[in-house]
Amino acid sequence: MLPAARGFVIEDLKRLEADALREVRTARDPRELEEVRVRYLGRRDGMVSRCLRRLGGLSAEERPAAGAEANRVKGAVDKALQERGAALSLDGASDQDGPDLTLPARSGWQGTIHPVSRVIDDIWSIFRSLGFTRARGPEVDTEWYNFVALNTPLDHPAADEQDTLYLSPGLLLRSHTSPVQIRTMEQHSPPIRIVAPGMVYRRDTYDATHTPAFAQIEGLVVDEGVTFVDFKATLAEFARRFWGPGTRVRFRPSFFPFTEPSAEVDVKRIIVREDGREEETDWIEIMGAGMVDPAVLDNVGYDSERYTGWAFGMGPARVALLRHGVRDLRLFYENDMRFLGQFR
Amino acid sequence: MNVSFRWVRDVAPGIGLGPDRAMERLALRGAPVEEVVDLAAGLKDIVIGRVLEAGPHPNADRLTLCRVAGPDGEVPVVCGAPVVRVGAYYPFAPVGAVLPGGFRIGRRKIRGSYSEGMLCSERELELGEDHAGIMLLEGQYEVGAPFAASVGLDDVRMDVEVTPNRGDLLSHVGIARELHPAGQDGIALPPFPGGRGEPAASFARGAAEAASAGCRIHIEDPELCSRYLGAVIRGVTVGPSPAWLADRLRAAGARPINNVVDATNYVMLELGQPLHAFDLEKLADATIVVGRARPGESLVTLDDETRAVTPDMLMIRDAVQPVAIAGVMGGRDSEVSEGSSDILLECALFEPRKVRATRRALAMSTDASYRFERGVDPVTMEAAVLRAVSLILATAGGTLDGEIIDAHPRPWVPAVVSLRPSRVSHVLGVDFAPEAIAELLVPLGYAVEVAGADRLDVTVPGHRTYDTLREVDLIEEVARTHGYDAFPEVMSAARSGTVPDHPLFQLEDRLRDLLAANGISEAQTPALGPKRHGDVALLNPMSQDEGHLRRDRLPGLLTHVERNMSRGVRDVRLFEIGTAFAPSDDGPPIESSRVAVALTGGRTPPHWSSGAEPFDIHDIAGVLGLIAREACPDAAVVPAGVRAGGRAGGRASAPAGGQAQRLFAPGRCYELVSGGGEVVGWGGQVRPEMMDLPPWAGAVVGAEVVLPAVPPRKPDVTARDLPDQPAVQRDLAFLVPVGTAAGEVLDAARMAAGRLLETADVFDVYEGEDLPPGTRSVALRLRFRARGRTLTDREVDKTCRRVVRTVKEKTGVEPRR
Repeated sequence: MLPAARGFVIEDLKRLEADALREVRTARDPRELEEVRVRYLGRRDGMVSRCLRRLGGLSAEERPAAGAEANRVKGAVDKALQERGAALSLDGASDQDGPDLTLPARSGWQGTIHPVSRVIDDIWSIFRSLGFTRARGPEVDTEWYNFVALNTPLDHPAADEQDTLYLSPGLLLRSHTSPVQIRTMEQHSPPIRIVAPGMVYRRDTYDATHTPAFAQIEGLVVDEGVTFVDFKATLAEFARRFWGPGTRVRFRPSFFPFTEPSAEVDVKRIIVREDGREEETDWIEIMGAGMVDPAVLDNVGYDSERYTGWAFGMGPARVALLRHGVRDLRLFYENDMRFLGQFR
Repeated sequence: MNVSFRWVRDVAPGIGLGPDRAMERLALRGAPVEEVVDLAAGLKDIVIGRVLEAGPHPNADRLTLCRVAGPDGEVPVVCGAPVVRVGAYYPFAPVGAVLPGGFRIGRRKIRGSYSEGMLCSERELELGEDHAGIMLLEGQYEVGAPFAASVGLDDVRMDVEVTPNRGDLLSHVGIARELHPAGQDGIALPPFPGGRGEPAASFARGAAEAASAGCRIHIEDPELCSRYLGAVIRGVTVGPSPAWLADRLRAAGARPINNVVDATNYVMLELGQPLHAFDLEKLADATIVVGRARPGESLVTLDDETRAVTPDMLMIRDAVQPVAIAGVMGGRDSEVSEGSSDILLECALFEPRKVRATRRALAMSTDASYRFERGVDPVTMEAAVLRAVSLILATAGGTLDGEIIDAHPRPWVPAVVSLRPSRVSHVLGVDFAPEAIAELLVPLGYAVEVAGADRLDVTVPGHRTYDTLREVDLIEEVARTHGYDAFPEVMSAARSGTVPDHPLFQLEDRLRDLLAANGISEAQTPALGPKRHGDVALLNPMSQDEGHLRRDRLPGLLTHVERNMSRGVRDVRLFEIGTAFAPSDDGPPIESSRVAVALTGGRTPPHWSSGAEPFDIHDIAGVLGLIAREACPDAAVVPAGVRAGGRAGGRASAPAGGQAQRLFAPGRCYELVSGGGEVVGWGGQVRPEMMDLPPWAGAVVGAEVVLPAVPPRKPDVTARDLPDQPAVQRDLAFLVPVGTAAGEVLDAARMAAGRLLETADVFDVYEGEDLPPGTRSVALRLRFRARGRTLTDREVDKTCRRVVRTVKEKTGVEPRR
């Protein structure tokens, strides 16, 4: 091979390098830059690549120098391409050719937790911080657990308050979560400090405020030295943590066969109106509660002279209704995706 | 309990409370007011009018033309009533007035005569049903004065919620006693208008039997009826009650019937003692026997129903037959009606449980049974019968004959309950001195006597006989009267409980979070469903659609998918955690907590960058795996039917048995099989014929997993060191004939690849025309790595050749060239 051939290859490479670097510098966008890359470094028809293929025609002495030069040029062009590419892609942000950042984002489906479950979670997390644990019991239970052990004789009008669904004589769908009180105390000794969320059933037809199956959450504390003062203090503390620090709490006398004294607990919340002004709500009834009746403690074999306690029961669906301004309870159980999807 | 506030004020003159304060006080005493009705709200435009002249209308036979004195002087009024009394007072609606029904009175010309106002009937004022005539007001009134105030209708009716333990609040006196600062001492019953005061009556007393005025009362069953008072009144004139009485009953929500019946209702509403009046002439031998029903007897009650009564029920009988169901309802044939002249007034005390059992057995409830069930004051019986007698004498005339008969086999002895002041403090957390306790209890009617260093003996008043039996009942009275608001709120140190947090709640919480994070929304559906969804039936369901307890949760959830789709919602992703019920041979059904998932529509939200792919069977396999990792880590998701003799990793021929799997299309169904071989979950593509779906609906896939009753602790993860050597990756494609499972190829490849294999995945499945018919290309990506050394290409190539060979041997599948 003639020496001129060698000179020609190296010269050629240098010229190509200069051309390539110039074109890289002047490329205005990634598309043009890609054309430059293909023109010079393209595997088949790129000009640098073609030069490299011509190296095979050189003599063994000439080949290393030319090869080294070819590789140097290739590396230099490649580096320039990358630098320019990075610069262009940043410039592109302000360029019309960049992605349209106003287009809707891409994301997966978002699932939601049912608003009634959320209320239970929120109630539970407050009681957890007050040292409670969770207990559970069966949804089908006996008259003993649902009524008799809870100091509710079946021939007393108090048993009417909850119209009960029966499976067979003596066997029923629990009408409240209170049977869990009895079952828990039967299996554990004091101190007891539990909440028991669960489904309960009543012989109600569906309407805006009733469903035959609904969630309830029960609470029970039994220990030595537990008093009405502790009872009020703990539930008032719960209410303020749940509904906000400004919440007022009112305890009204009431009647439940398994507590005495018994109370209804009402709250008056501070709500912020749309115009920013704060406003107090009416009194809202949120739970039934009271000191555990000694007869209940006797029924599970606790010493009712030694131990005292308090209990409460509340309906999370009602709380959810108030929390979200839902007018009809049935919406919670229709499970319309458009309704559930709101509670993100 | 419907309470007329005016009535309450009348029986407790010094009460000194308006309706608002009264409602607040009632709420804080345990009897909240649920609803308040302003009885005069619709009557504010109605005034007193006086008719000065009345004569026939010149152009109409049935109309009367009157001159009426009203608030604006004398005006002509055309009246539809045939009889209008000159000089009398009537409720008058002048021009511009609005009647309770919303009708506005205008100046109208009727048959040629102008009418400037209207004389009103009871019905037009919504005070009663009587529209035969306009409402004549007896007595003297001020013309133009507001009608409601003039006749005592400016009242509010409160619906007081009375808890089952407080039967004593089911009367106006009971409510007044709770409201008046002096309690029982503040009560003073007013005399009746036109009455002659309380009759000077004496009592013919006996134990099981007593008689007077030719009438005999015999109590056969003293356990069920401890006392029966009977008053014989002869020569009454049965007719409508005077307006004041009718108005008062209406104000308390009762319907006036006739003067005798109204008198008994009045006394019941005032004092809480149910009374009954018999037509004495209808009682055989003028005899009352209080005893059980005889076998096979029946009685037509006041509501015209024929009631079959049984020997466990207590009856009021005459000499021959039952005439009333004791404490529940009287008989039709002995009721007081227009022609009655002589009556027997009953005032009795029946055993609460028996009244309750009887009225429940007869599926009825009356004002009387409601009160007897909750306990009637034994002390006020004599006062009640005397009050009723004087009211009947005042409104229906007649005379009290002889003595009031008093059969009283079981005298009432007031209960004495001991109370330890130390126990009061022990329960309530605040110290109460004996004097302080007495101050709180005495106004309620209790008598308190110091009986020892730490003992008070408290005598219970008659009206609290039924709910104050124990020390704790008195402690409640102390707390209630002291006022719950007066107790401090101080949290004291609490000891931790002995009950561990139930692990199933923790598992359910994790699943909820996990599924929601995967784009699925939580639903709540009732556990009650139709027969086809459950094996455990209810005895007293509300409807057939809610007559059974669900055996699985997924079918119920699918109905909610249907409901969403019927409303045009195409993308539905729901899960639910709830209880399922399986029958057991004896005893309660077996309950298990389940998580069910249903998916349909697009797998991702619609987005401009790509079309949405629909959910399919592989998504539900993924969800099953997701749930299994939390709920039962040792379980595996396998195509259904595999256990039933199918090939390892093979395709299912048909879903294996089980109710839930019938939901799924054959060959499109998975099972979750626990380490012990038990099926603990299932999922698949729901057969379209199982659902009622719109034509545009795509595949619906669903799954259900049985959660362990007590989830085991999830084992701790033992961390592996990060690899110190690079991995070598090889892709191998196989031509898998239809009918051969990709899983078999993958299993064979894994086995052949040996210890050096790190992971093996299917990364591409391709079907195309360039492949031999009846085959698809399944591409595996194998990743190899050795500990502590770099793998050589030779080693890996050799392993890959072994993989190809083994796959061919085991499955007959060739590599794709």
